[in-house]
Amino acid sequence: MNSVGTNIQRQEAWDKVTGRAKYTDDDQITGTLHAKILTSPHAHAEIRSVDIRAASKVPGVKAILTGKDCAILCGDVIEDRPPLAAGKVRYFGEPVALVVAVSEREAMEAANRIAVKYKPLPVVASPSEAILGDAPLVHENLKKYKKAVQDVYPEPDTNIADRIKIRKGDMAKGWQESDVTVEASFQLPKSDHIAMETRAARAEIHPDGQVIITASSQAPFSVKKLLSKSFQLEEGKVTVKTPLVGGGFGGKVPVILEALAYLASKAVDGQAVRIANTREEDMVSAPGRLGLEAKIKLGATKDGYLKAAEMTYLVDTGAYTDIGPRLAKAIAVDCTGPYRIENVWCDAVCVYTNHPYATSFRGFGHTSYTFCVERALDQLAAALGTDPLELRMKNAIIPGDTTPTQVKVTSSSTGNLTACFERLGALIGWKEGARIDLGNGIVRAKGVSGFWKTSNSPTDAISGVLLTFNSDGSINLNSGVVECGPGMKTTLAQILAEKMKMDVSRIHVKLEVDTQVCPEHWKTVASLTTFMAGRAPLKAAEDLIEQVKSIAAVALKCPTEDLEVAEEKVFLKQDPTTYLEFKDLVHGYQYPGGESVGGQIMGRGSHIMSQLTTLDHETGRGKSGPAWAVGAQAVEVEFDTKDFSYRLVRAATVMDAGKVLNPKTSRGLITGGMSMGLGLGSREAFVYDGSGRVENTSLRTYKVLHIGEEPQYLVDFMETPQVDAPYGARGIAEDGIIGIPAALANALSTAARTELNQLPVTPESIWNAKTGGKL
Amino acid sequence: MIPMKFDYYRPDTVSEAVKIYGQLDSEGKRPLYYGGGSEIISMARMNNLDMGAVIDLKGIPECRELKTDGDHLVIGSSVTLSDITEADLFPLLSKACGRIADHTMQCKITVGGNICGTIIYKEALLPLLLSDCTVLIAGAGHLKKVSVHRLFHQGLNLSPGEFIVQFLVEKKYAALPYFHIKKTKNEKIDYPLISLCAVLEEGSFKLALSGLCGFPFRSVRMETELNRRDVSPEERVRNAVNLMPGPVLNDVSGSDRYRLFVLKNTLMNLGKELEG
Repeated sequence: MNSVGTNIQRQEAWDKVTGRAKYTDDDQITGTLHAKILTSPHAHAEIRSVDIRAASKVPGVKAILTGKDCAILCGDVIEDRPPLAAGKVRYFGEPVALVVAVSEREAMEAANRIAVKYKPLPVVASPSEAILGDAPLVHENLKKYKKAVQDVYPEPDTNIADRIKIRKGDMAKGWQESDVTVEASFQLPKSDHIAMETRAARAEIHPDGQVIITASSQAPFSVKKLLSKSFQLEEGKVTVKTPLVGGGFGGKVPVILEALAYLASKAVDGQAVRIANTREEDMVSAPGRLGLEAKIKLGATKDGYLKAAEMTYLVDTGAYTDIGPRLAKAIAVDCTGPYRIENVWCDAVCVYTNHPYATSFRGFGHTSYTFCVERALDQLAAALGTDPLELRMKNAIIPGDTTPTQVKVTSSSTGNLTACFERLGALIGWKEGARIDLGNGIVRAKGVSGFWKTSNSPTDAISGVLLTFNSDGSINLNSGVVECGPGMKTTLAQILAEKMKMDVSRIHVKLEVDTQVCPEHWKTVASLTTFMAGRAPLKAAEDLIEQVKSIAAVALKCPTEDLEVAEEKVFLKQDPTTYLEFKDLVHGYQYPGGESVGGQIMGRGSHIMSQLTTLDHETGRGKSGPAWAVGAQAVEVEFDTKDFSYRLVRAATVMDAGKVLNPKTSRGLITGGMSMGLGLGSREAFVYDGSGRVENTSLRTYKVLHIGEEPQYLVDFMETPQVDAPYGARGIAEDGIIGIPAALANALSTAARTELNQLPVTPESIWNAKTGGKL
Repeated sequence: MIPMKFDYYRPDTVSEAVKIYGQLDSEGKRPLYYGGGSEIISMARMNNLDMGAVIDLKGIPECRELKTDGDHLVIGSSVTLSDITEADLFPLLSKACGRIADHTMQCKITVGGNICGTIIYKEALLPLLLSDCTVLIAGAGHLKKVSVHRLFHQGLNLSPGEFIVQFLVEKKYAALPYFHIKKTKNEKIDYPLISLCAVLEEGSFKLALSGLCGFPFRSVRMETELNRRDVSPEERVRNAVNLMPGPVLNDVSGSDRYRLFVLKNTLMNLGKELEG
């Protein structure tokens, strides 16, 4: 009975397709109050005064909170962010006040009547401006902030929140061995996750002190811990519930609305309060995707072997760090892309600006640096006069090579990138030419990109699973993983079914997370769920099997080692016709006379990340994740050389999945990633006015890729097992996005015969690059 | 969520609508006429609109008419964009309406709302400008017919309390050969970099544009320049582009120079089409 490798329908499929699936803010509960935020209209300004008198008079208003009412600082890495701005605002959209009222309308009306006086301050408008000596400071008190972790190095009296250094090999030697060098600069804007479900939370404080939070979160256990820490609550008294999440993409990892909902509820004697972002608030007030500026210099021998790389990445973390230093770290760890380079110098700097702040976003920084590296590789290929795909294959990382942080690569830890490139070339017909003239000013062009990704979890991240039986012998699976779209809980059921050798439809999964009853899963992020949470049911299954066998051994009067488990039965190896069914064992075994032995059988399994280290501050040496997923991607466009417009024709991904657990879900995940990547490549970007205010805060002017604009998607997998992962399966959830903006820009650079080193690539940006803006 | 309280009226007749407006206005309620209401919702929820009352015109039969009447087409102001594209009585207008917002919104947005709302592009107006149509306008104590060019010239000329009841388009205009080209930043459904409507009448063509300036326009001077036969197409286009009736937009959708580049390109292609 095989479960792994087959197409299993996701557990929540019927609820979703019939519209019955429930998300955090779907249930309107009688008696719940409504909270609304007032946000900053300035990117950087001193708050001179906040007058709530008129607002307090609006009927239905129960409480109004400002920065003075919650003088704490939050942050996963550096504690730098107040829940409500105090003293000054640091970005357009920053929450300044919070109104609690009987209805949402009244809360909005009151929020509109709060009079805030601001004194605008000079704005830090880009990371390169931020690091200039005379730049205004976004955080004057940086040196006084508490660090939530050890390994972060803010530079006092600057806008630099962290700097990660990679020093590998001997740069002088690298440049000496290089016959050809290329140098280029890159700029990538900030953008947003645009999850279909905007963020929402609900809080209630019971008279006995129990705090109940319901939140649209990828990290309910972080919510519990952070609320407990920030507000001095006993951790056991905080319960966080997370129903299905309507898309996270990293945006629902930070704890934001949960803290506001708690503060709101506390202000009204613990009554239930809900808060839900509008789309505009979700785009700008809540954190989005990092911006990046980079300088890359590559050196290679004349026969195309990479010898040296010097890279500076300035991560625009915006007004607050949130996870920004870890984004910089992730970029540093994998800064070269999946290529063998012996000599690497890299500074990845996490920089404050007066932009909306950044948090994790699908790809965790990898999409951004990959754009820079892969564009630089195409420019190197041109300088060498070599084929871009061939250049990548020649330098593709293989077992025995070391990564920028000096981790030795094995077949298990990375898979087979060369095979991915080969298959990609065949899939998209690379040999027919990267640029084909179709006549009438239209050309068809292809671009490629490689990618790799590892994770950057804490070195002690944990995950667990609890299993119980129903009296019919079926299993209930309870895990703290959040179901935010990729079908993770179905994957866990699949892994368990395979191990138990039983039908996956007989495994019932609890989709909602309740931190009081679910075993902890660190966070549903980093494409780590298959690995971390997936190892837990394997151990839990072993635990179950051992218990089932020991009670069956009593009942069948045989040694446990003679017993085997499959298809909800335990049977004698030497005589499978002698068996007992799970249903007769798992809630205790009853002898024909009525006497009973055993009891309820429950399984438990957990996993903790192992062998991970923090990075050496001077050289970057260290291991941040258990393994890499590698792959190759391509985009094909049809480009109009007369007006610089283009159409997406095909997009392809070949990646080494280790083992494809669920083919259709895997294809869907990769395709979804590619679609997002095309959005980033072609249109998604925040645009600011001269004062740092975001101008496109709604989906009218901030565009994502729509149905009808999608290319044909090609997806294929290699299967080089990751031996320490469940059934050899690597994490693949984020990866479809990583190389796509690079491949798109490579295709369009080839099509337009100009170097496109900024995102997004629009007809106007190509026109600008090509003509310098001539009419 | 609309944060303020407001009253809702749905009159059954033109005169009732006008009367209600006068009454609400005198009470200081800052009333607004509306058709589909999509813009009221999107503006009010962002605190960009503040009104004490709205008057829904969809209950007035004349505003809902969409028909042929003798040698005219009658297009009620509260007819939705999707009604127009489905009936297809005026193909160029269908094309223009079919590219405003997405289909869900086209089922809400009315032709009158598109023209009288605050969004500057008003693409439904372009074919109407080319047809030199007549507009039936109701106001306090009057029901008047004016040329579309009186209704709109670099801005809307409606007095407080007035609303558009119908557009009356001569049928012959609906039958002219036409061109509709909409160029956007990078997305099919978006505000225009340029939206161009053109018709060919007795060998020369008329042109109306949106997306270039802060208002849609038809420029006779540009038309004259483009219809010249004594100079090269390149020169005609170059001259026409220099005749913009106002500053060119420079915003998140596109820079002013890029818009002009796109206009030039589009006019060159249009010239080829017309000559071909």
